[in-house]
Amino acid sequence: MSVVHALPDATSGTAPVLEARALAARYGHVEALHPIDLHVAEGELVAVLGPNGAGKSTLLRAILGLVSNSGTVSLRGTPLPRQNPVAVASRGVVLVPEGRGIFGPMSVAENLELGAYRLRDRAEFARRRERVMTLFPRLKERLTQVAGSMSGGEQQMLAIGRALMAGPQVLLLDEPSLGLAPRVTEEILATLGTLNGEGLSIILVEQKAPLALELANRAYLLSVGRIVATLDPREITSYDELAQHYFA
Amino acid sequence: MADFSYIPQVLVSGLGIGCVYGLIGIGFCVIYNASGIVNFAQGAFVMLGGMITHGLLQRYGLPLLPAALIAIAVVALLGVVLERVVVRPLWDRKATMFTMILATLAAQIVIERLTLIVGGDQPKTLPVFTDLPPLQIGGVAVSFQLLWIVGASLLAVGALAAFFRLTRTGKAMRACAINREAAALQGIPVSRMLAAAFAISAGLGAMAGILITPTQYTAFNVGVPFAISGFIAAIVGGFGRPFGAFLGGLMLGLVQSLAILGFGAGWKTVAALSVLLLFLFIRPSGLLGAATK
Repeated sequence: MSVVHALPDATSGTAPVLEARALAARYGHVEALHPIDLHVAEGELVAVLGPNGAGKSTLLRAILGLVSNSGTVSLRGTPLPRQNPVAVASRGVVLVPEGRGIFGPMSVAENLELGAYRLRDRAEFARRRERVMTLFPRLKERLTQVAGSMSGGEQQMLAIGRALMAGPQVLLLDEPSLGLAPRVTEEILATLGTLNGEGLSIILVEQKAPLALELANRAYLLSVGRIVATLDPREITSYDELAQHYFA
Repeated sequence: MADFSYIPQVLVSGLGIGCVYGLIGIGFCVIYNASGIVNFAQGAFVMLGGMITHGLLQRYGLPLLPAALIAIAVVALLGVVLERVVVRPLWDRKATMFTMILATLAAQIVIERLTLIVGGDQPKTLPVFTDLPPLQIGGVAVSFQLLWIVGASLLAVGALAAFFRLTRTGKAMRACAINREAAALQGIPVSRMLAAAFAISAGLGAMAGILITPTQYTAFNVGVPFAISGFIAAIVGGFGRPFGAFLGGLMLGLVQSLAILGFGAGWKTVAALSVLLLFLFIRPSGLLGAATK
């Protein structure tokens, strides 16, 4: 009997954590994302770049099944259910949505607790919470505070912390820097770098390409709903070169 | 002209009916928060509460309390059935608000007519829960049924508050009310939360129906007027605010009772709708401000 193994991933030598094949998305009759192929290898941080309206958010929403999609998305080789964000999230594909989506009227502690909604193991819950407190010490001081009363940066930290409470296999972030001061943005992106350094696979959608490229192992460039280039950040030496991709 | 010495007495009975409106109003809010749906079959739950309890008493000779508890459980289950059979399929297809309202209204009519066929058109009543003469408190007669209504309602409201504040499911339901999509992204089963909301609303509706029946009567067609009053209570309280709805219900009950005293029973509905219009004109976000979606 012969067994055909999946082809190893070119970049890291292991099967991808998340892989999309011919993934497309539509809003009504408008195809917002043309069929694309994309993957994230184990421990990789992949940036998705592109101008406004390129379909970056739609791509993340299509992976989760929040928009009507076609094609397949697999997690470590197992296809994910379609159009069922709850099931996809439960498998460990966790999205920090654009605009953060925190539960504003609830406390910081409650937000974190709801992140671990699926988790029954109390010891593991305590471990994850401790980890989030270490990553974002500011949240620790604000556990009882109403989440919506915090600053934008703190809310973004909470959104990421809440996602980490779910114990993600792969973390998807939609423009975490949106509306934040440069210093806070740097702090948050640095934390993503730390998490990635510990082996967490990440897809980062960012408008601020230079910041994202500093962290990324690889970057996809999206334009009008298509992947127009796959970039190796080490090969991007000047932003003029990047700009050419944007306007090509 | 009315005799104003009756006012304390009238306020006391207004409190009773107000609690009932409040419970029904909470039902509207709980479903609305979980789904954005205004469930116009809410009245059917109220009617079924009284009718099923009556059936269990008459046909099976059960004592009142177990009969009432079974009726509440059965109606809560029917709420889940309604969610599964009528609401969920439409919801999954992203039906509009108008479709939802029509569908739940249709369900209301179907349940009403089925009850007519099964139970007949004769009004029915329930015995009072405690058959003792009313207490006299400072010249005001307080019936034991009123104590039951107020006590059970406060207990239900307290239990609900604890549920939303302390339990995992309660917190998840609040999260769904705040941001359904974000809740789904955390793996919170939003459709199961919707079913839970229907169960809670139906149970509260049934409870309201059982509590009020001994002071009035129940029949296949009592649901809609109760639902309208509960709906007004929810709007007065700030739609989507369960505890606002309870306050709204109390206020509506008191205003109605005063209107009946001042102008006669025919003015009851006029008073209720005037309260509604007044709030829509002057304070459309209700007593507590509508829940932000």
